[in-house]
Amino acid sequence: MTFLAPGFFFASLAVAAAVVALHLIVTRQPRAGILPTARFVPDLPANATARATRPSDLMLMLLRVLLVLAAGAGLAKPIVKPARGAQARVILMDVSRSVSDSAALRDSVRALYRNHDAVVVFDSSARVIAVNAADSIRAATFTRARGNLSAALIAAMRAGSGLRDVADSVELVIVSPFAAEELDRATDSVRRLWKGRARLVNVRGLSADSLSASRTLDISSTTSDPFQITALKLRESPDATGLIVRSGVFDSARASDRALIHWPVAERPRSAVERSARDTIGGVVAGDALVVSAFERRWAYPEDSIRGSDVVARWVDGQPAAIETPTVNGCVRSVAIPLASAGDLVIRHDFIRFVAALSGDCASRTAMRAADSDVIARLEESGGLASRDAFRPRGDVRSDLAPWLIGFAIAAAIAELFVRRRRTAEAAAARGDSAMEKRAA
Amino acid sequence: MARWKDSRDPRAVRFEEPDYAALLDSVRGIRWPARSAVRGGIPGAHTSRMRGSSAEFTEYRPYRQGDDLRRIDWKLFARSDRAYIRLSNDRAILPTTVVLDASASMAFPIPSLGKWSLAAQAAIGLAAVARNSADPVGLVIARASEIVHIPPRTRQSVINEMVRAISETNPSGNHPMTPAIDAAVRMSGRAVLITDFLGDGDDLLASASRAVVAGKEIHALHVIAPEEIDPPRETLLVSDPEQADIRRPLTGDARDAYLAAFSAWRERTAHEWSEAGVSYSVAIVGDEAPDHLVRRIAAPRGVAASA
Repeated sequence: MTFLAPGFFFASLAVAAAVVALHLIVTRQPRAGILPTARFVPDLPANATARATRPSDLMLMLLRVLLVLAAGAGLAKPIVKPARGAQARVILMDVSRSVSDSAALRDSVRALYRNHDAVVVFDSSARVIAVNAADSIRAATFTRARGNLSAALIAAMRAGSGLRDVADSVELVIVSPFAAEELDRATDSVRRLWKGRARLVNVRGLSADSLSASRTLDISSTTSDPFQITALKLRESPDATGLIVRSGVFDSARASDRALIHWPVAERPRSAVERSARDTIGGVVAGDALVVSAFERRWAYPEDSIRGSDVVARWVDGQPAAIETPTVNGCVRSVAIPLASAGDLVIRHDFIRFVAALSGDCASRTAMRAADSDVIARLEESGGLASRDAFRPRGDVRSDLAPWLIGFAIAAAIAELFVRRRRTAEAAAARGDSAMEKRAA
Repeated sequence: MARWKDSRDPRAVRFEEPDYAALLDSVRGIRWPARSAVRGGIPGAHTSRMRGSSAEFTEYRPYRQGDDLRRIDWKLFARSDRAYIRLSNDRAILPTTVVLDASASMAFPIPSLGKWSLAAQAAIGLAAVARNSADPVGLVIARASEIVHIPPRTRQSVINEMVRAISETNPSGNHPMTPAIDAAVRMSGRAVLITDFLGDGDDLLASASRAVVAGKEIHALHVIAPEEIDPPRETLLVSDPEQADIRRPLTGDARDAYLAAFSAWRERTAHEWSEAGVSYSVAIVGDEAPDHLVRRIAAPRGVAASA
């Protein structure tokens, strides 16, 4: 057994010693004596401090010592350490939208899992499953959120701290399709925090080659639409692959393996409603692309209309400016960003980058694109497993004994209250008897 | 100094009967003259206020009508042809009663009961001295249940009666002394009050004052224990044996205040009793032998007692 916060326990030992000392050095009435001329002694409170060789009240002292020690031990969070094994695993289980075959991923994790292993389930966020991990693996639900491997690795460090008392070395196992969108600039830095190699289990990922489309940006618009200039500048961009419909009939069936973007010149965008009052806002953001300009907002997306859709662009006040709705073959995007017929906005670089971000691949296709092999190799690294010393002891370990000890301390405090009251009553009664005897004498 | 023991410990009480025989031997031959001429017609050892026909001549006085013819000095009449009455001083007895305080405050210090022992020896010694002068002696003990009263007598056995009465008395309780001294002065020309004045002091002083005014000779012996003058320096919770509600801590600071208050009270008591015409004396336990104390009290006014 050990304590997570031993300072409390040592403090309680000191307090208990002080309690014993106070019971030995008690304030009590001095020794009684007879003096016929006592009437000439000033009438002062009859208490004096004396040192006793035995505790003044053994029962009360024991209760108080138990109270203090139990409270101190409870606050010190005692834990019982299990026997340490040779090896344990931290398994990162990917449940994001990048996983196309959830059953295969679930089976892979179940095959890897052993007792005392820690499982980190992640999509855009990560959570460590400490209890009943086998059941959690079986019941894991796959989401449409984008995976975030950096967050998962940070959670793995936390899970590794929890395993440092269980095993001498800890292995990192990542079960994921390793989609490109799951890695970000921080992934390599975060991965280096784990001082050991990782085992990568790749489940049904699609190669970048198989997903690459030889499409370019298309636009359906009138010749007088200044947006034609922007589209012209984006023709060579590999990221812009959608079909932008500015005018004419919008048919969602045209969305075949690429994004169909409804960005009308003046009509109401798909799924949008007219705002009760038009207003002007100074900017709009899509991914990393920001455009600062004065936009007159005419349309809005109510809560009901964006249910089942993803927001792909937002006004600077946080309201949706464009949404993406998945279809059978691809996706449909609705853009409620009005463009002025005059001005230089359509030729500005930030706007061109913004349009490129809006006209990229559908999220479902982006999620499937696997990361480069060298990036995946950096995740694996080489060398031995991470030693238990590489992890800091966890500060959030729960002590099962602590609530019982605190409860015992509370019970001892209540008992001490009753015993103290009884002692006081007995002392008062004894004083009363003594006075009556003296009067009788 | 006597040991200071807890009053609740019965084993602590260790009172030994005084050696009255040795005391009576040591005071044999001591006389206790009255402080002033006494009343009374029974012939005794004290100068009487009465002028009588004793053999001890004093003076002549011219005969007045009504004088006893037998008291005319006929020889002088023959020589001077004038009638003179021969006068002489009468001698009378002085009934003496000792009033002894047997309250709980006299049973102190607890192991030796020094105050009670000294008071008892002083009472017996003074009674014996008065008895040596052929005076009737009596005893009044003011104790809790009753007042023990031995009327003044001249017979030899009265001292033994007094010793027995004192031996049977256990000082305890809190009772007034005033009825005891009133009873004493009714039957005696001299009363000796032996007490620590911790009871009904004011009433007692009033009664004694009235007795002095009535021509009685009152002696007051203030008995004090050395532990009362110099209490122990140890912190104690002292209680008054006569008043259970008085329980006070005798600490260092309280001790100084106590000494000042007790000293002032003793001085005031001595002053008030002396002013009232009472022969006031202080007896501190262990300071002097009982027979010396008796000599000091019995010595005539203005004469120091000899050892």
